[in-house]
Amino acid sequence: MGARSGSVLVVGVGGQGVVLSSAVAADAARRCGFDVKQSEVHGMSQRGGVVTSHLRYGDAVRSPLIAAGEADAIVALEWSEALRALPALRPGGTLIVSVERILPPSAFLDRLHGAVRYPPIAVGLLRGTVPDVRACDATAVAARAGDRRAMNTVLLGVLSRVTPFSEPAWDDAIAANVPPKALAANRAAFAAGRDLQPDDARPALARVEPSDEGGPARRSAASLEIVDAWCKGETCAICVRSCPEYCLGFDPDAIAVRVTRADACTACGLCELLCPDFAIVVHPAVPA
Amino acid sequence: MSGIEYRDRLRRQMLPHILCPGCGHGIVLKALLRAARSLELDWDRTVFVAGIGCSSRLVGYIDGCTLHTTHGRALTFATGMKLARPELTVIVITGDGDGLAIGGNHLIHAARRDVDLTCLLLNNETYGMTGGQAAPTAEPGAISTTTPRGARERSFDACALAVAAGASFVARGATSLPLELDALIARGIAHRGFSFLEIASDCPEYFGRYNELGRGPEMLQLQRRRLDGVDRTLAAKRSLRPRPAEGPPPLRTGVLHERPA
Repeated sequence: MGARSGSVLVVGVGGQGVVLSSAVAADAARRCGFDVKQSEVHGMSQRGGVVTSHLRYGDAVRSPLIAAGEADAIVALEWSEALRALPALRPGGTLIVSVERILPPSAFLDRLHGAVRYPPIAVGLLRGTVPDVRACDATAVAARAGDRRAMNTVLLGVLSRVTPFSEPAWDDAIAANVPPKALAANRAAFAAGRDLQPDDARPALARVEPSDEGGPARRSAASLEIVDAWCKGETCAICVRSCPEYCLGFDPDAIAVRVTRADACTACGLCELLCPDFAIVVHPAVPA
Repeated sequence: MSGIEYRDRLRRQMLPHILCPGCGHGIVLKALLRAARSLELDWDRTVFVAGIGCSSRLVGYIDGCTLHTTHGRALTFATGMKLARPELTVIVITGDGDGLAIGGNHLIHAARRDVDLTCLLLNNETYGMTGGQAAPTAEPGAISTTTPRGARERSFDACALAVAAGASFVARGATSLPLELDALIARGIAHRGFSFLEIASDCPEYFGRYNELGRGPEMLQLQRRRLDGVDRTLAAKRSLRPRPAEGPPPLRTGVLHERPA
């Protein structure tokens, strides 16, 4: 990263501390006399949007946004967000990533059996395209430092090795931005991140993550007993509209509700609880 | 589901019930029967008393000792029954019209005496059985056959009224939170002294239709938004002053007041 200008992209999942860590880095840059611009998007990453913060610093910064392929460093608080942000990294840039896995709802292939599709956490594979990957389990490091929530600050500690900001500037920036009661834990987390050796930062990633192999053959979690004579059908529709898995519907030939997606039922029982007409009983399947 | 069987407590020959599609009252009856089952009440020593109105029709579907009484007087009959037979568990089902309008006086005195009864007041903000007139719980602005341009009067807060009158257990439940409702009813029945539960239960046929709130599913969703105070929060975030048109004030569920009788 050039001494007099640079750009850092911080990505993660809402609640992890993307915005705070970016604010700390921006403050550290400011304290070292840089012109800084920061811009963030909080876009529900778990629902397909992005949670990112762009940070650019230099003698004079005119635009806050980092163009594709121009980030000097990416700080990723979550693994799949790191992969998603990779196109922003310039050739030779640094990827700082926590091997954190936060499953977005869209990754669930089958909620009933827990099958998910999530990219395997394989830092070694990534080194083929990004030579400078600094990976660590930031949450574990932060937990050892006193508070697992300070995982974002651990990554700032790693980042501090590639930015030209002075250590006192970082410390002042942390003190100015984190809540006083969390200051000690964040200072410890920062120090731990800064002191991570490349070998520490290369955790033995034998964690082979569950893949999209599909899991066991689908079977219904429950059988529904529907009393047609009591059901008030489409004029009520409470069960049909409340079912989180869209399992219920109407049959043009029947007045009563019908199960239309039996294999998606999770036996949550909401339809039974909310049926005002006593017309549904959920019988959970006995585990095979 | 969840292991509580309640259907053997229903007068099956009376079903389907007369309540309109999407009416919340059936959800309340189910919660009541589940709570009674979870408490293992002695069914021969449990009496369900009701007055007049949609909610009061519920006792007709309970296969047990039930008493369908005169308008507004369910608590009066229940008080007498408890005096004569103190060993009985007496549960009163009433509505906002039955319990707060014509029977309002009986409600405050039952609370004042702190008689060992459990009173479920199903609040749908309207007189459903007679065609959708405004109830004393109708929020200002609510459209009904008697308030075609919106209710002008203030509404009762039934729970605050019960606390002020002396009830020793006061809780609020809602049909959109059926499991919490089970638990609240069970706590109310187990409480010794006057237990008052206001239960938000929607009337899609009259209240929902006149106020353009949609049918059963939409009203349940609105109820949840109201319980969570979502609309008020959104309005506040947009830094608009909350207006009555933005919906009634948030409702708080749970046990609101409890003291030893």
